[in-house]
Amino acid sequence: MIRAILLLWFAAQTLSPEAAQHMQAGIDAEKQQQVDVAITEFRKVTELEPTFTEGFVSLGQAYMEKHDLGSAIAPLKHAVELDPDMSPAHQLLGYALLAQGYAAQAIPHLQKVGDKTGLGIAEIQTGQLPEAIANLQAALAERPNDQDLLYYLGRASGLLSKQSIDTLLAAYPDSARAHQAMAENYFVLRQMPDAEKQYREALRLRPEMPELHLELGEVYAGAFQWAKAEEEFRAQTKLQPGNAEAAYRLGTALLEQGKAHDARAELLRANKLLPDMPETLYSLGKAASLDGDTAAAEKDWTKLLSIEKESSLAAQAHFGLASIYRKQGNTEAAKREMQEFQRLQGNSSQAAAPGK
Amino acid sequence: MLKTLSHVAFVLTSALLVAAIAGPIFEVNLPHGLDFTLQNSPTPQKYLIETMPGGVALLDYNNDGLLDIFLVNGGRITSPMQTPENFDRHDPQYWNRLYRQNKDGSFTDVTEQAGLANAGDGNYGMGVAVGDYDNDGYPDLYVTSYGKNILYHNNGDGTFTDVTAKAGVAAGGWSVSAGFFDYDNDGKLDLFVTRYMEWDTKHSKNCGGNYHTYCPPEEFPATTSILYHNNGDGTFTDVSQRSGIASKKGRALGVAFADYDEDGFTDIFVANDGMQQYLYHNNGNGTFAELGLEAGAALSEDGRRLSGMGVVFQDYDNDGRPDVMVTELPREIYGVYHNDGGGSFSYRSLETGLGVLSSGSAGWGVGLEDFDNDGWKDLFVAQGHVLDNVEHIDPSLHYPELPLVAMNHNGRFEGVDSGSATPVAGRGAAFGDINNDGWQDVVMTYLGGHPQVFTNRGGKSHWLTISLRGTRSNRDGFGARVKVNGQTRFATSAGSYLSSSDKRLHFGLGTAATAKVEIAWPSGVHQTLNDVHADQFLEVREPEKP
Repeated sequence: MIRAILLLWFAAQTLSPEAAQHMQAGIDAEKQQQVDVAITEFRKVTELEPTFTEGFVSLGQAYMEKHDLGSAIAPLKHAVELDPDMSPAHQLLGYALLAQGYAAQAIPHLQKVGDKTGLGIAEIQTGQLPEAIANLQAALAERPNDQDLLYYLGRASGLLSKQSIDTLLAAYPDSARAHQAMAENYFVLRQMPDAEKQYREALRLRPEMPELHLELGEVYAGAFQWAKAEEEFRAQTKLQPGNAEAAYRLGTALLEQGKAHDARAELLRANKLLPDMPETLYSLGKAASLDGDTAAAEKDWTKLLSIEKESSLAAQAHFGLASIYRKQGNTEAAKREMQEFQRLQGNSSQAAAPGK
Repeated sequence: MLKTLSHVAFVLTSALLVAAIAGPIFEVNLPHGLDFTLQNSPTPQKYLIETMPGGVALLDYNNDGLLDIFLVNGGRITSPMQTPENFDRHDPQYWNRLYRQNKDGSFTDVTEQAGLANAGDGNYGMGVAVGDYDNDGYPDLYVTSYGKNILYHNNGDGTFTDVTAKAGVAAGGWSVSAGFFDYDNDGKLDLFVTRYMEWDTKHSKNCGGNYHTYCPPEEFPATTSILYHNNGDGTFTDVSQRSGIASKKGRALGVAFADYDEDGFTDIFVANDGMQQYLYHNNGNGTFAELGLEAGAALSEDGRRLSGMGVVFQDYDNDGRPDVMVTELPREIYGVYHNDGGGSFSYRSLETGLGVLSSGSAGWGVGLEDFDNDGWKDLFVAQGHVLDNVEHIDPSLHYPELPLVAMNHNGRFEGVDSGSATPVAGRGAAFGDINNDGWQDVVMTYLGGHPQVFTNRGGKSHWLTISLRGTRSNRDGFGARVKVNGQTRFATSAGSYLSSSDKRLHFGLGTAATAKVEIAWPSGVHQTLNDVHADQFLEVREPEKP
């Protein structure tokens, strides 16, 4: 694209025959991926025609193709001085500066061409996180599966989150939210006793903060203390009877303790609040199976499989159905489900080589 | 009304039993003379073998009526290990040890005089199996190793002879748990040897990110376990291929035996690490079919692979059918495969309470024994993580742990105080009545330390301990199904992890002063004894004729 634009510009210019010859030689060398030859040719163009903008742009681009971004900056800067409206020059210069770590200097050039991806990345580096997130989200709307964009948006969001938490901790170190933030950090580090302590302090300061019980319950669940986890999830469901996640978590904590009947009731409630979530359906089937209601388990897992066909949850549902059918003596159905399970999961057994 | 009353009575009885066992059920001690230290020799190289030993056996090697203790040692590991590998097993601190129990409950080290002193410099010790393979009335020892295994024949005079070469059972590679059983009901004990993986010190790897750790099993190729058929003349034949055992490779750590489908032939359950578990069904014609997946005993309830380590194959819910319990790593929950009959199992870890009891622990040696003599088999698990630096990686997990002791209340387990206050990296565990008081005791090994002896504090309930004396069947009676007042045990010394338990069959009788004993011998002979008095050690001889 840039090359086409350049060629159009090039056509509109008048060059000496010698400069034109070097220009053409540079373009040809670039096409043949002889970057060093191209650089030599373009440099001659800039020496013969010091006001020929495209010569500098081509030289800069050739350096960039050689991954010599530092050398690209000078000719590109000269190009934008010669022609402040030349978009390709701004874009290339913006990227070259950004890649060399000069994010602040890159931003005006990227703004000039409205390059939201480059801008977003540059703004992360300059700490303009809200602006970075806005630009990256806009770019992602156009390229939703771009791995780099997804990464940078995640990074910008994380940094903004950290910035907010740092401010919170610095300004209000004894607040319930500060303790909650510290608890979350400990939880990520799997330092459960410290996380518990911080959550307890947050709850002491602001017992009405509803998400605290849910998060503290997760701490206990992470430390395999299921009775305590149940207690916290139950407190959460009392504070927020409409919170489907709280009902789901309570259901799974009950399930871990083998309280299948009670687990089922909570999971049914979760499914009513937020219908047909695959995780809820899987756990519902498991609770029903444990509770001896295989018909309900079959229904829940079949429903799950109508929503998810290729996931690990789908594999688990096939495995559960195979168990049900095997117990019912329906060997054909059990075999079919087991085959689906193995297809999704891969067979863990390894046959020995003959004769070994 | 009657139903209500009986329910109330049951609740009261249960409450009384619970009250009776308030406080630790065991006293943890180190009997005088039991001065063994398990030398696993941890190195910065993190050779995988370092974290895997060591086995323990409870056996009466001299037939004096007192249980003796055999302990398997690791060896010296240098960092890095040189070739050829030398574990300095000639050095006394690396010997396996046999301790003879004295009448006063103390032990005497008889290793040297018994001829068990040097297990070979090239062998890093792992586990032990006990069985009377030649039916001479004296228990023999099979010691597994990373390296070569050794079969010690018990000469009946307090000494043993290494008969490995003649018997042809050296195996090789990395052997772990082993067990004697009679798969073809010919009256002679055969031998199953689990092998972990294709690994050696030259091909060890660095694993872990910031923290150098022991590698997960998936880093190394799986291998085959070995089945040796007892020829009856002091030799064995490797029938792994012919029997179908070698048709599947695994990463086997534990093995246990029982006849799960009541067809009269003993089946095999193999605990595999990081993959599906294997249930080898005995076809009754010298071959086995691995049916773990088909039977519902291979994976977790969610279809996940398990880190199977120890295993026990006994009936926990008194329905007469042997169930399987497999110990595993944290976040997996110890597997409980309930035998539903008809060759089918269902995963019941959550219903039995093991979700709460085991989801944060790593389990190894395991036993289902009736510790409170209430008629229900309770659970003991030796615990401790594989990784000696696991706390750095995940502070919610622990390398040293207390063992799990859980009482069985009508098929559901509830944890109780083990009596131990010192967390250790537990590994092997063997079960038996060491002081012959009618209450089951435990010996547990742990890395780098002395064995822990869990002496049962006892109580008032009745009990019955049965010694089988096979005539047509193998002399140990291994493979017999023994039913006492509605409880069933499958005669075996195998199971747990790397270890071998007292071959006597112990039953708690609760308040019953007499018992009905029904024995289905491997020969097919059925024998019933009525009105057997409680609180005795009873030897039952198999009728010569059906």
